[in-house]
Amino acid sequence: MTTRAGVFAFAAALASVAGGADLARAADGELRQVYITASSPLEGVKWYVQHMKCEAIADRRDTARCGEVELVFLVQPTRGSTQGTGVNHISFSFPDLTAKMKELEKVGVQGSGVRLQRFPDGSMIRDVPNLFKLGFIFDPWGTRIELVEDADTLGFHHVHLSAPNPTATLAWYRDRFGGKPARLKGQLDGLLFGKVWLLTSPQSEGVPASTEGRAIDHLAFVVKSMDQAATDLRRQRVTFLVEPEVPKGGRTPAKRAFIAGPDRVKLAVVETGFAGVESRLASAAVAAAREPYAVPRTPWGEPNLQGVWTGNSAQGIPLERPTSLGDVKALTPEEAEARRERGTLGSIWGYEREWRDTTLGYVKTAPSTQVAMVVDPPNGRIPPLTEEGRRRLEAARRQAAGDEQGVGPIRLPEGPEDLSPYVRCITRGLPGMMIPTVYNNGLQIAQGPGFVTIQKEMIHETRVIPTRPRQHVGPGLTLWLGDPQGRWEGDTLVIETTNFNGRAPFLGSSGGLKLTERYTRISPTALEYRFTVDDPAVWTKHWTGMFTFDRDDDQYELVEYACHEGNYGMSNILSGARAREKAPGTGAK
Amino acid sequence: MPIRLSGGATVLAGYFLLLQLAPASVAGQSAGANRAQSWEGHPHLDGVWQAIGTAHWDLLDHPARPGHPGLGALGAMPPGQGVVVGGEIPYKPEALEQKRKNFESRMTADPEAKCYMPGVPRATYLPYPFQIIQGDQKIMIVYGFAEASRTIHMDKAKPEPAPIDSWMGRSHGRWEKDTLVVEAAGFNGEAWLDRSGNYASAALRVVEHYMPRGPDVLMYEATLEDPTVFTRPWTIRMPLYRRLDEGARVLEFKCVEFSEDLLYGHLRKKPTR
Repeated sequence: MTTRAGVFAFAAALASVAGGADLARAADGELRQVYITASSPLEGVKWYVQHMKCEAIADRRDTARCGEVELVFLVQPTRGSTQGTGVNHISFSFPDLTAKMKELEKVGVQGSGVRLQRFPDGSMIRDVPNLFKLGFIFDPWGTRIELVEDADTLGFHHVHLSAPNPTATLAWYRDRFGGKPARLKGQLDGLLFGKVWLLTSPQSEGVPASTEGRAIDHLAFVVKSMDQAATDLRRQRVTFLVEPEVPKGGRTPAKRAFIAGPDRVKLAVVETGFAGVESRLASAAVAAAREPYAVPRTPWGEPNLQGVWTGNSAQGIPLERPTSLGDVKALTPEEAEARRERGTLGSIWGYEREWRDTTLGYVKTAPSTQVAMVVDPPNGRIPPLTEEGRRRLEAARRQAAGDEQGVGPIRLPEGPEDLSPYVRCITRGLPGMMIPTVYNNGLQIAQGPGFVTIQKEMIHETRVIPTRPRQHVGPGLTLWLGDPQGRWEGDTLVIETTNFNGRAPFLGSSGGLKLTERYTRISPTALEYRFTVDDPAVWTKHWTGMFTFDRDDDQYELVEYACHEGNYGMSNILSGARAREKAPGTGAK
Repeated sequence: MPIRLSGGATVLAGYFLLLQLAPASVAGQSAGANRAQSWEGHPHLDGVWQAIGTAHWDLLDHPARPGHPGLGALGAMPPGQGVVVGGEIPYKPEALEQKRKNFESRMTADPEAKCYMPGVPRATYLPYPFQIIQGDQKIMIVYGFAEASRTIHMDKAKPEPAPIDSWMGRSHGRWEKDTLVVEAAGFNGEAWLDRSGNYASAALRVVEHYMPRGPDVLMYEATLEDPTVFTRPWTIRMPLYRRLDEGARVLEFKCVEFSEDLLYGHLRKKPTR
């Protein structure tokens, strides 16, 4: 909003550029597509249909039609919000902005990921004299959206660029693609492509970052003839990043080219009829099943499991098979996408999908289609608890209820001991620490002769596993993570762990737990993990879970998750409990 | 095969010799046996090590001092000879004042008392064993205390900047003949150097030398450079001993629960502090 003042001087400048430059003719283009990086095309379409009155398009699962413009959702590693790039935001117009904002505020981040950007005074709407009412929100993937109340143009309203020299930028687009120079409400200089405005504001500081990989990856102009357009653009010395071609997976024979726009904005030029590209994320586990794989060796001859892995694709697989799924073998890719998106929605992390996807690389691999982690018993259900097991599970649940106020009955923690070892940053226990959570899913495996180190990013815990026989510690020495003994069975690392202290229960597991883990590389990029829980005091029969870690050596580095060192949550929970005890009428003990 | 080239032909030759002549001595040895060389021809550093001394109490010469009054003689600081080469830590005047304040408040302010990660080089001479796992891409050092560990990157052509500041920093290693040289930086400046309040800032850079002196002894040297706290780089030196106890291992020392009363006692329903 600080940028409006700068635009009034455009018209004259634009005219002078237009008159002075003797440029070749513009390609006859229409601004018709916006490519948005999202973790799930299905969820992207759903979100814009639900909130921006767009329409889904049959046979194009990745595209929503919003008036004259199509929004196309790309699944790719994302580098963050639109802000800071040359495409600052897109805009939609509603007849009653106040009502719309109220509706979106009610939906909130927990409903389906609507993030409001309030003005410094806390309000959501500004009424700009002689223009219209406007406000800003973000979609869950970091696309900034301006909502306006412009009765002249409802629905998709404009694409708003950010440029160090707005006049030159607008002139660039006009000279290359046409578009009608006009003034929105007689106030803002822009170009009109049909009913779609292209506006530009001065970049507030620095130069724009490249749009590539950001929430809006690129814009596309539709041309009638690619050959003619390419000729026109080349005459104007436009740089072609990708030559005109029918892209692999193109849904129609229409051609597409990529060119470098001004201000590091990536642009596509597509022929009329271009309907996007059919693509899906690769699934490491599925690819693995297709081809045989020889596990590499370390220089000293042991199977090589080393590298950085993440549990991101497995995040959200329930431990037990949901009864609603009957005996289906696997989810469809669409169901898996929806499950992963739902898994981070409605929790406090819901609005942070942009963060999740930028920092954690969630979108690098397809979400797992596995129905449940439990693979033995084959029905996917954990065997019945013993009497003792029921007591232990109940106690573990009571402790967890103390962690999160509002989940279960309110029980104010009298001290740290009333909270779970996870909240206290002690440990998630075993096998809990291996199971993916929403964030910081990194797993680093490093080996030396006779030893494997397994480091989990969450909380930061490092297990040192001997792969040659050594004496177990005596029964008097119990540990949170037990005493491990590893061995190689062919290419599989097998770890048996005993001597647990039983204080970080996994669903009520006891100190008598014997945990057997099996790590097998099934492809260059997939590490299968199986864990067998054998705890006769708690379960009437042993049971086994399985999921797959994905390799992510190129980008992922475990950060030091200094959990206890930065455990502000602990102070806040306890001081909150003390405040609540003092407050009258809370009903808390 | 990802063999580093720093040792040149001799490393490769040594490695192939091991493969051809003595495979059993590489793959088949028990974990406790002493080997002069690792699989790659470099000194064999993997195993469980520990510093024996009082550097964790005070890096400098120190007389016996009282400890926490509640602990009687159990908490007392034993006398000890310093490990600082030259016997002096070259603090800037204002930094020396901070060190003095740290010393006075050490019973509650020492990050070790709070079960915070010890940082570098302090992790090395805590009074607990640590394990070196010597691989081809990374050398891991796992310290039991506060779940601290270090990944020493041996597979980077040149040091990479730390992605974020951290307690344990980012470490890059290389071999200089028989010495493992590790450069560590990217610290958050929160860690202390001992229980007497010696400290450094986030500008700290540490160069460590792990020098074998026989199969069971390493001479350890760490040079600390931090222009915001010290007037010049300075060095500590001490031996590290291999733990020869049968079945010696690094046990997790999850100390969080022992720090909670210090950190949160005032927030208990029945306050203890």
